[in-house]
Amino acid sequence: MIETTFWRGSVPRVRPLLGTVAAASFVVASYMALVWAPTDAVQGDVYRILYVHVPLAWLAYLAFVIVFLASIGWLWTKRPVFDAIAVASAEIGVLFTGLFLVAGSIWAKPTWGVWWTWEPRLVTTAIMYVGYLLLRSLSPDFSRRATRAAIFGIVAVIDVPIVHLSVLWANSLHQLPTVLRASGSPALDSAMLLTLMVSLAAYTLIYVYFMSARISLELARQERSWATT
Amino acid sequence: MTGLGRIGLVAVRELRAERREPDGIVAAVTFIAVLVLLESLVVGPVVARDADIAPALFWIALAFATILATMRSFDRELEDDALEGLVALPGGRDALFGGKVVAIAVVLAIVALVGGLLSLVLLDLPLALPLHLVVVVVLGVVALPPVVVVDVVLALRLRARAALVPILALPVLVPQLVAASRGASAAIAGDAVGALSWAGLLFAFAVVYGVIGLTIVPAAIE
Repeated sequence: MIETTFWRGSVPRVRPLLGTVAAASFVVASYMALVWAPTDAVQGDVYRILYVHVPLAWLAYLAFVIVFLASIGWLWTKRPVFDAIAVASAEIGVLFTGLFLVAGSIWAKPTWGVWWTWEPRLVTTAIMYVGYLLLRSLSPDFSRRATRAAIFGIVAVIDVPIVHLSVLWANSLHQLPTVLRASGSPALDSAMLLTLMVSLAAYTLIYVYFMSARISLELARQERSWATT
Repeated sequence: MTGLGRIGLVAVRELRAERREPDGIVAAVTFIAVLVLLESLVVGPVVARDADIAPALFWIALAFATILATMRSFDRELEDDALEGLVALPGGRDALFGGKVVAIAVVLAIVALVGGLLSLVLLDLPLALPLHLVVVVVLGVVALPPVVVVDVVLALRLRARAALVPILALPVLVPQLVAASRGASAAIAGDAVGALSWAGLLFAFAVVYGVIGLTIVPAAIE
């Protein structure tokens, strides 16, 4: 199949280069975040965790959007590659959501005085990811597993923005949007904004690298599973 | 027969089955009654009367009652081998989802009535806007079942589904629970505009998740 050729041939050839670019951009982003970006007038150096926290948040949501699109792809075409993309993105999403919660916790202690707040966006997103993977792990048959997971993936992703809005309704402690604001221009210094953008790009490249490796692994697992049945 | 007719037929069939074997509704009513009784004992009578605490616990209990009633409803179908026949009919999958949602909303309305009256009487809640509270409860009762029916269908015939369904359903139900709790709090406290605003959101949730369910649940029923 074209998909197998692509994931077995082209992607493994490009993957080392992708990994190198991702690692290099991560080094550049870390340097900019820790050294180059100015210190915040209010929070001091503590704010620098923003350059980890925000990219992780972006990837947690991006991963869920990819799950959503891949789920639609599976339901529409029944091509196994879409299921492989969905499971890969969900697993990486769990990883980034977990790191996102840890980074948020580390930031919350010096700024809000607590390690943990009941932030509905993070908690519900994390639980939905866990539910998605749990649903997959309990379904033995490939086709049924993929279909059930795809439907839950779609429902969960539609729910994410609604939960996001519920934060505004429920008087959350969480900081209001700093970059994407309804009023237009971001409330960040230009050097801070550039550092944030570089960090976002670096973490996105890491996500793409992880995805390429995990999708290939999942396709190989699917083939092995079909070969033994 | 039209789609609505089929949905009505499945809902009536479901309610007849519930009347014949009312174990689902009995379990749900008992659950919410015990919770109301325990609430006052655990948090103390003063806190239990708080206009924010009582509605929040009530709606969490109602969410679990929805899960209980929905799982019992599908268990009955599996025990009687009735599901295969139903989904084999033309439009049967849509009707199954729609009918279950309608029937479970009716069951939930009874559970909410009992739980609500017990809360008002036993916790001696000072209710400022009873009609607004009724609107919030009715729309809340309609907003919960679509999500739970979708999740029960997804977990059908899976082992450990008793644990899986709450994990799948409760995070998705967060906005509904927030809106229902805040709407009920507003009605209790006398905030008419607040109560009706939350009620409007509950209506929107009921429509959105109802449409999602009707669109994708047929694909989930094997």
